[in-house]
Amino acid sequence: MGCQHLEEVYELWWLGALSEQGCLDLREHLARGCQHCLARVRDAAGTVYMLGLAPKPVRPRPRVKAELLRQISRKAAPNR
Amino acid sequence: MNEEQPAENLLARVARHDVAAMSELYDRYAPRVYGLTAHILPSRDAAEEILQEVFERLWSESPSLSQEGRSVVAWLVVTAREAAVDRLRALRQDAPTAGPQGPGVNAEKGPGAGTRKSKALVIAPTAPKSLDGKTAVMRPRPADAARTPATDSVPSAWLPPPKEITLIDDRLVLLHKAIDQLPTLQRQALELAVFGGLSESEIAAEMGEPLGKVRTSLRAAVTFVKHRRRAVCGTWAANI
Repeated sequence: MGCQHLEEVYELWWLGALSEQGCLDLREHLARGCQHCLARVRDAAGTVYMLGLAPKPVRPRPRVKAELLRQISRKAAPNR
Repeated sequence: MNEEQPAENLLARVARHDVAAMSELYDRYAPRVYGLTAHILPSRDAAEEILQEVFERLWSESPSLSQEGRSVVAWLVVTAREAAVDRLRALRQDAPTAGPQGPGVNAEKGPGAGTRKSKALVIAPTAPKSLDGKTAVMRPRPADAARTPATDSVPSAWLPPPKEITLIDDRLVLLHKAIDQLPTLQRQALELAVFGGLSESEIAAEMGEPLGKVRTSLRAAVTFVKHRRRAVCGTWAANI
Protein backbone atom coordinates (compact mmCIF):
# COMPACT_ATOMS: atom_id res chain seq x y z
CA MET A 1 0.00 0.00 0.00
CA GLY A 2 1.37 3.41 -0.98
CA CYS A 3 1.68 6.43 1.32
CA GLN A 4 -0.99 8.39 -0.54
CA HIS A 5 -3.58 5.79 0.47
CA LEU A 6 -2.69 6.30 4.10
CA GLU A 7 -2.87 10.09 4.11
CA GLU A 8 -6.31 10.16 5.70
CA VAL A 9 -5.91 7.38 8.20
CA TYR A 10 -3.11 8.23 10.64
CA GLU A 11 -5.38 9.93 13.16
CA LEU A 12 -8.09 7.30 12.74
CA TRP A 13 -5.52 4.64 13.42
CA TRP A 14 -4.49 6.32 16.68
CA LEU A 15 -8.14 6.59 17.62
CA GLY A 16 -8.77 2.91 16.92
CA ALA A 17 -11.48 3.86 14.45
CA LEU A 18 -10.04 1.96 11.48
CA SER A 19 -11.06 -1.51 10.45
CA GLU A 20 -8.75 -4.33 11.43
CA GLN A 21 -7.50 -4.53 7.85
CA GLY A 22 -6.81 -0.80 7.82
CA CYS A 23 -4.77 -1.17 11.00
CA LEU A 24 -2.79 -4.07 9.60
CA ASP A 25 -2.05 -2.18 6.39
CA LEU A 26 -0.66 0.79 8.30
CA ARG A 27 1.36 -1.34 10.72
CA GLU A 28 2.89 -3.29 7.86
CA HIS A 29 3.71 -0.11 6.01
CA LEU A 30 5.37 1.44 9.07
CA ALA A 31 7.26 -1.77 9.75
CA ARG A 32 8.92 -1.30 6.37
CA GLY A 33 10.52 1.85 7.79
CA CYS A 34 8.66 4.53 5.84
CA GLN A 35 9.98 7.79 7.31
CA HIS A 36 7.32 9.85 5.55
CA CYS A 37 4.56 7.94 7.31
CA LEU A 38 6.41 7.81 10.62
CA ALA A 39 6.54 11.63 10.61
CA ARG A 40 2.82 11.73 9.92
CA VAL A 41 2.05 9.20 12.62
CA ARG A 42 3.89 11.44 15.09
CA ASP A 43 1.98 14.44 13.82
CA ALA A 44 -1.29 12.53 14.13
CA ALA A 45 -0.46 11.68 17.76
CA GLY A 46 -0.27 15.43 18.37
CA THR A 47 -3.75 15.87 16.94
CA VAL A 48 -5.10 13.04 19.10
CA TYR A 49 -3.44 14.66 22.10
CA MET A 50 -5.17 17.92 21.26
CA LEU A 51 -8.55 16.21 20.93
CA GLY A 52 -7.98 14.35 24.17
CA LEU A 53 -7.62 17.61 26.02
CA ALA A 54 -11.08 18.82 25.04
CA PRO A 55 -12.66 17.80 28.36
CA LYS A 56 -11.96 20.15 31.23
CA PRO A 57 -9.23 19.12 33.67
CA VAL A 58 -10.64 17.56 36.81
CA ARG A 59 -8.79 17.06 40.07
CA PRO A 60 -8.92 13.41 41.14
CA ARG A 61 -9.51 12.43 44.76
CA PRO A 62 -6.34 12.63 46.88
CA ARG A 63 -6.46 8.93 47.64
CA VAL A 64 -5.45 8.11 44.04
CA LYS A 65 -2.15 9.91 44.41
CA ALA A 66 -1.59 8.40 47.83
CA GLU A 67 -2.14 4.90 46.46
CA LEU A 68 0.03 5.57 43.41
CA LEU A 69 2.93 6.81 45.52
CA ARG A 70 2.52 3.88 47.88
CA GLN A 71 2.72 1.46 44.95
CA ILE A 72 5.74 3.01 43.29
CA SER A 73 7.58 3.55 46.57
CA ARG A 74 7.28 -0.15 47.13
CA LYS A 75 8.74 -0.80 43.68
CA ALA A 76 11.49 1.77 44.24
CA ALA A 77 12.58 0.27 47.56
CA PRO A 78 15.78 -1.77 47.24
CA ASN A 79 15.31 -5.50 47.38
CA ARG A 80 16.44 -7.08 50.59
CA MET B 1 12.78 31.82 42.32
CA ASN B 2 10.84 28.61 41.88
CA GLU B 3 10.97 27.68 38.20
CA GLU B 4 9.00 24.73 36.90
CA GLN B 5 11.24 21.91 35.78
CA PRO B 6 10.61 20.64 32.25
CA ALA B 7 8.54 17.48 32.34
CA GLU B 8 11.22 15.60 30.46
CA ASN B 9 13.75 16.40 33.24
CA LEU B 10 11.27 15.07 35.77
CA LEU B 11 10.85 11.95 33.65
CA ALA B 12 14.60 11.39 33.65
CA ARG B 13 14.48 11.55 37.46
CA VAL B 14 11.52 9.17 37.50
CA ALA B 15 13.59 6.77 35.43
CA ARG B 16 16.09 6.84 38.31
CA HIS B 17 13.26 5.90 40.70
CA ASP B 18 12.80 9.38 42.13
CA VAL B 19 9.39 9.28 43.81
CA ALA B 20 9.36 13.05 44.43
CA ALA B 21 9.72 13.66 40.67
CA MET B 22 6.83 11.30 40.03
CA SER B 23 4.76 13.19 42.57
CA GLU B 24 5.50 16.44 40.74
CA LEU B 25 4.59 14.97 37.35
CA TYR B 26 1.37 13.65 38.81
CA ASP B 27 0.42 17.02 40.31
CA ARG B 28 1.10 18.69 36.99
CA TYR B 29 -0.73 16.30 34.68
CA ALA B 30 -3.20 14.20 36.66
CA PRO B 31 -6.07 16.71 36.28
CA ARG B 32 -5.70 16.63 32.47
CA VAL B 33 -5.51 12.86 32.37
CA TYR B 34 -8.35 12.41 34.83
CA GLY B 35 -10.50 14.97 33.02
CA LEU B 36 -10.17 12.77 29.94
CA THR B 37 -10.71 9.39 31.62
CA ALA B 38 -13.68 10.72 33.60
CA HIS B 39 -15.18 12.00 30.36
CA ILE B 40 -14.84 8.61 28.69
CA LEU B 41 -15.79 6.25 31.50
CA PRO B 42 -19.15 6.01 33.22
CA SER B 43 -17.88 5.86 36.80
CA ARG B 44 -15.49 7.90 38.85
CA ASP B 45 -13.89 4.77 40.29
CA ALA B 46 -13.11 3.37 36.84
CA ALA B 47 -11.72 6.70 35.68
CA GLU B 48 -9.46 6.96 38.73
CA GLU B 49 -8.35 3.37 38.32
CA ILE B 50 -7.21 4.09 34.76
CA LEU B 51 -5.51 7.27 35.94
CA GLN B 52 -3.50 5.33 38.48
CA GLU B 53 -2.71 2.54 36.03
CA VAL B 54 -1.38 5.01 33.48
CA PHE B 55 0.93 6.70 35.98
CA GLU B 56 2.13 3.32 37.23
CA ARG B 57 2.87 2.41 33.65
CA LEU B 58 4.76 5.69 33.25
CA TRP B 59 6.87 4.68 36.23
CA SER B 60 7.66 1.29 34.69
CA GLU B 61 8.32 2.60 31.20
CA SER B 62 10.16 5.78 32.21
CA PRO B 63 13.66 4.45 31.45
CA SER B 64 12.85 3.80 27.78
CA LEU B 65 10.57 6.82 27.47
CA SER B 66 13.16 9.24 28.77
CA GLN B 67 15.70 7.95 26.27
CA GLU B 68 13.38 8.57 23.35
CA GLY B 69 13.05 12.30 24.13
CA ARG B 70 9.34 12.33 23.33
CA SER B 71 6.70 14.39 25.09
CA VAL B 72 5.71 12.99 28.49
CA VAL B 73 2.30 14.63 28.54
CA ALA B 74 1.53 13.42 25.00
CA TRP B 75 2.38 9.90 26.15
CA LEU B 76 0.15 10.30 29.20
CA VAL B 77 -2.85 11.65 27.32
CA VAL B 78 -2.64 9.26 24.36
CA THR B 79 -2.04 6.26 26.64
CA ALA B 80 -4.85 7.28 29.01
CA ARG B 81 -7.31 7.68 26.15
CA GLU B 82 -6.45 4.26 24.80
CA ALA B 83 -6.67 2.63 28.22
CA ALA B 84 -9.99 4.33 28.98
CA VAL B 85 -11.63 3.42 25.67
CA ASP B 86 -10.33 -0.14 26.01
CA ARG B 87 -12.02 -0.29 29.41
CA LEU B 88 -15.18 1.18 27.93
CA ARG B 89 -15.19 -1.44 25.18
CA ALA B 90 -14.69 -4.17 27.77
CA LEU B 91 -17.61 -2.82 29.79
CA ARG B 92 -19.78 -2.88 26.69
CA GLN B 93 -18.78 -6.45 25.88
CA ASP B 94 -19.32 -7.59 29.44
CA ALA B 95 -22.84 -6.22 29.43
CA PRO B 96 -24.29 -6.87 25.98
CA THR B 97 -27.82 -6.64 27.26
CA ALA B 98 -27.22 -4.11 29.98
CA GLY B 99 -30.21 -2.13 31.05
CA PRO B 100 -30.21 1.02 33.09
CA GLN B 101 -28.24 -0.65 35.88
CA GLY B 102 -25.55 -2.15 33.67
CA PRO B 103 -22.10 -0.77 33.07
CA GLY B 104 -21.06 1.31 30.12
CA VAL B 105 -22.52 4.38 28.61
CA ASN B 106 -25.62 2.47 27.69
CA ALA B 107 -26.64 2.98 31.28
CA GLU B 108 -27.22 6.64 30.46
CA LYS B 109 -29.91 5.76 28.01
CA GLY B 110 -33.55 6.16 28.80
CA PRO B 111 -35.46 7.49 31.74
CA GLY B 112 -34.05 4.87 34.13
CA ALA B 113 -30.50 6.11 33.78
CA GLY B 114 -30.59 6.89 37.47
CA THR B 115 -27.32 7.30 39.29
CA ARG B 116 -25.03 7.87 36.35
CA LYS B 117 -24.36 11.38 35.29
CA SER B 118 -25.42 12.21 31.76
CA LYS B 119 -22.37 12.78 29.62
CA ALA B 120 -22.78 14.64 26.40
CA LEU B 121 -19.75 13.83 24.31
CA VAL B 122 -18.21 17.22 24.17
CA ILE B 123 -15.19 18.66 22.48
CA ALA B 124 -15.51 22.26 23.66
CA PRO B 125 -13.16 22.67 26.62
CA THR B 126 -14.70 25.71 28.21
CA ALA B 127 -18.40 25.47 27.52
CA PRO B 128 -19.59 21.88 27.55
CA LYS B 129 -22.84 21.51 25.75
CA SER B 130 -24.79 18.70 24.24
CA LEU B 131 -24.99 18.19 20.54
CA ASP B 132 -28.11 19.96 19.37
CA GLY B 133 -29.42 19.60 22.88
CA LYS B 134 -29.14 15.81 22.79
CA THR B 135 -26.91 13.50 24.71
CA ALA B 136 -24.98 11.12 22.51
CA VAL B 137 -25.94 7.60 23.45
CA MET B 138 -24.03 4.50 22.56
CA ARG B 139 -25.49 1.07 22.47
CA PRO B 140 -23.30 -1.84 23.49
CA ARG B 141 -22.10 -4.01 20.67
CA PRO B 142 -19.11 -6.23 20.15
CA ALA B 143 -16.05 -4.14 19.46
CA ASP B 144 -13.92 -4.91 16.43
CA ALA B 145 -10.87 -6.87 17.41
CA ALA B 146 -7.34 -5.51 17.56
CA ARG B 147 -8.13 -2.02 16.40
CA THR B 148 -6.23 0.08 18.85
CA PRO B 149 -2.59 0.95 18.68
CA ALA B 150 -2.51 0.23 22.43
CA THR B 151 -3.01 -3.46 21.86
CA ASP B 152 0.00 -3.43 19.59
CA SER B 153 2.20 -1.56 22.09
CA VAL B 154 3.05 1.60 20.23
CA PRO B 155 6.70 2.59 20.36
CA SER B 156 7.18 5.91 22.14
CA ALA B 157 9.23 6.97 19.13
CA TRP B 158 5.89 7.40 17.37
CA LEU B 159 4.96 10.30 19.64
CA PRO B 160 5.72 13.95 18.96
CA PRO B 161 8.62 15.79 20.58
CA PRO B 162 7.94 18.17 23.52
CA LYS B 163 8.28 21.35 21.45
CA GLU B 164 5.36 20.36 19.22
CA ILE B 165 3.22 19.64 22.23
CA THR B 166 4.13 23.03 23.71
CA LEU B 167 2.89 24.66 20.50
CA ILE B 168 -0.43 22.87 20.90
CA ASP B 169 -0.70 23.69 24.61
CA ASP B 170 -0.08 27.37 23.92
CA ARG B 171 -2.95 27.49 21.44
CA LEU B 172 -5.33 24.95 22.88
CA VAL B 173 -8.30 27.26 23.39
CA LEU B 174 -8.01 28.49 19.82
CA LEU B 175 -7.73 24.96 18.51
CA HIS B 176 -10.80 23.79 20.37
CA LYS B 177 -12.76 26.77 19.09
CA ALA B 178 -11.89 25.63 15.59
CA ILE B 179 -13.32 22.20 16.37
CA ASP B 180 -16.58 23.88 17.32
CA GLN B 181 -16.88 24.95 13.69
CA LEU B 182 -17.31 21.39 12.46
CA PRO B 183 -20.68 20.51 10.93
CA THR B 184 -22.83 18.52 13.36
CA LEU B 185 -22.50 15.14 11.68
CA GLN B 186 -18.72 15.42 11.46
CA ARG B 187 -18.47 16.57 15.02
CA GLN B 188 -20.65 13.76 16.34
CA ALA B 189 -18.70 11.15 14.40
CA LEU B 190 -15.42 12.55 15.69
CA GLU B 191 -16.63 12.60 19.29
CA LEU B 192 -17.83 9.00 19.08
CA ALA B 193 -14.39 8.00 17.80
CA VAL B 194 -12.40 10.03 20.32
CA PHE B 195 -14.44 9.50 23.48
CA GLY B 196 -16.56 6.48 22.61
CA GLY B 197 -13.76 4.40 21.11
CA LEU B 198 -16.04 3.37 18.26
CA SER B 199 -14.89 2.22 14.84
CA GLU B 200 -16.26 3.72 11.65
CA SER B 201 -18.76 0.90 11.27
CA GLU B 202 -19.86 1.18 14.90
CA ILE B 203 -20.29 4.92 14.54
CA ALA B 204 -22.43 4.38 11.46
CA ALA B 205 -24.64 1.92 13.35
CA GLU B 206 -24.78 4.24 16.35
CA MET B 207 -25.80 7.24 14.31
CA GLY B 208 -28.11 5.30 12.01
CA GLU B 209 -26.26 6.64 8.98
CA PRO B 210 -24.76 4.78 6.01
CA LEU B 211 -21.17 3.66 6.56
CA GLY B 212 -19.95 5.56 3.51
CA LYS B 213 -21.42 8.80 4.76
CA VAL B 214 -19.93 8.34 8.22
CA ARG B 215 -16.56 7.39 6.81
CA THR B 216 -16.52 10.51 4.67
CA SER B 217 -17.67 12.68 7.59
CA LEU B 218 -15.12 11.31 10.00
CA ARG B 219 -12.27 11.72 7.56
CA ALA B 220 -13.41 15.23 6.69
CA ALA B 221 -13.51 16.08 10.40
CA VAL B 222 -10.02 14.75 10.99
CA THR B 223 -8.69 16.57 7.95
CA PHE B 224 -10.30 19.82 9.10
CA VAL B 225 -8.89 19.50 12.61
CA LYS B 226 -5.46 18.61 11.28
CA HIS B 227 -5.43 21.57 8.92
CA ARG B 228 -6.65 23.97 11.59
CA ARG B 229 -3.95 22.72 13.91
CA ARG B 230 -1.28 23.28 11.31
CA ALA B 231 -2.58 26.74 10.53
CA VAL B 232 -2.95 27.78 14.17
CA CYS B 233 0.33 26.29 15.30
CA GLY B 234 2.22 27.51 12.24
CA THR B 235 3.52 24.04 11.44
CA TRP B 236 1.94 23.76 8.03
CA ALA B 237 5.17 23.85 6.03
CA ALA B 238 6.74 21.14 8.18
CA ASN B 239 3.96 18.77 7.32
CA ILE B 240 3.69 19.13 3.59
